[in-house]
Amino acid sequence: MADVKVDKTLDVRGEVCPVPDVETKRALKKMESGQVLEVLIDYPLSKERIPANVKKEGHEVLAIEEVGNSEWRILIRKK
Amino acid sequence: MGVFTGFITGILFGIVLQRGRLCFNSAIRDLKLFKDNYLWKAVMLGIAIETLLFPLMAQAGWIHLNPKPFIPVGDIIGGLLFGFGMVLAGGCASGVTYRTGEGLTTAWLAAIFYGLFGAASKYGFLKPVVKFLRGPVYKINSPGGIYTEGKIGPTIATSLHINPWIPAIIFAAILLWYVFGTKTSERSGKGFNWITTGILAALVGGLAYYTSSHFGGRNYPLGITGGWINIFKTFTGGKLNWEGGEILGIIIGAFLSALASKEFKLRMPRNPMAYVQVVVGGAFLGIGAVTASGCNIGNFFSGVPHLAWGSLLASLFFVLGNWIMAYWLYGRR
Repeated sequence: MADVKVDKTLDVRGEVCPVPDVETKRALKKMESGQVLEVLIDYPLSKERIPANVKKEGHEVLAIEEVGNSEWRILIRKK
Repeated sequence: MGVFTGFITGILFGIVLQRGRLCFNSAIRDLKLFKDNYLWKAVMLGIAIETLLFPLMAQAGWIHLNPKPFIPVGDIIGGLLFGFGMVLAGGCASGVTYRTGEGLTTAWLAAIFYGLFGAASKYGFLKPVVKFLRGPVYKINSPGGIYTEGKIGPTIATSLHINPWIPAIIFAAILLWYVFGTKTSERSGKGFNWITTGILAALVGGLAYYTSSHFGGRNYPLGITGGWINIFKTFTGGKLNWEGGEILGIIIGAFLSALASKEFKLRMPRNPMAYVQVVVGGAFLGIGAVTASGCNIGNFFSGVPHLAWGSLLASLFFVLGNWIMAYWLYGRR
């Protein structure tokens, strides 16, 4: 998914639970419909919980890529 | 033998906690903050199974049930403090313990201060304060049967003078209806499925009850607080016991499990203020757990299956404390 234009990047690696999830929710709220948010995380629980929760809100999860040792990049398109 | 069996039990628990991402803080908080019940269901399933497993093991003569005492003031105050502490520390007692093994530096700090303040509350300078906060401690004469002899904490069964199997079966049935009969939040990934996590955690709980009472001189299933306090006491000459061995096992089990799934990483927050927050959280966890005579494992996961009034009351206030602090920290715009 290297060709998707990212409108905002949220780097929440190393953060205490549940900061990654809360920051993701807040960032999406401030964005326009159709924009893409890139979330960088290293917390396994958030890697599994963020996609489930944003999908529930109606947003689209474009990709979950492993970009390093226990590091992931989640691409979300706001509904 | 005591320390060894505690260590092995801890390793198994550490693996289940890491693979299942089983943090009670998240389980409780996610219900409100994200309307997500995935982890909560794993906890409820584990409790439901233990509610039947423990009396079954006692009926077979393998163990004797030892419910925690009823400490109305301490359960409420300690429960609230512990609930606040969980959210500030970014994890519950077992959560910060297993995440220590995953490499989260915030968990290291939270766990260290949890142990320090727990030890201070039980044996040190906070002891008189905690004693005051606890208030009266109520125990009853054991009715025998599947309960251990001597003084025990009152349970639903002992208060109603009925066979303990009756409330156990009813309670387990209600929980099982809830976990399997209602909608579950979605989840995918490399972690254990919630059903697997709940079942395995309960089985490790049964193993803990057996080995702790037979080899560890400690008649109770899984616990966390006593273990950390024991570890800190060894620095001043104390001996490592079953529960201390369990904590070491959890850290190593979680470490090995994380390593195997490439989830071990030294993680540091961008803002160093996070360290201050988790230190305060850890202190609240320690004081709260000793005031309530048990943490999310001792009172909640291990205690509720006994249907002990003290554990039920403490657990209620763990949840309320958690929701209040989660709202204050993360719920407001």
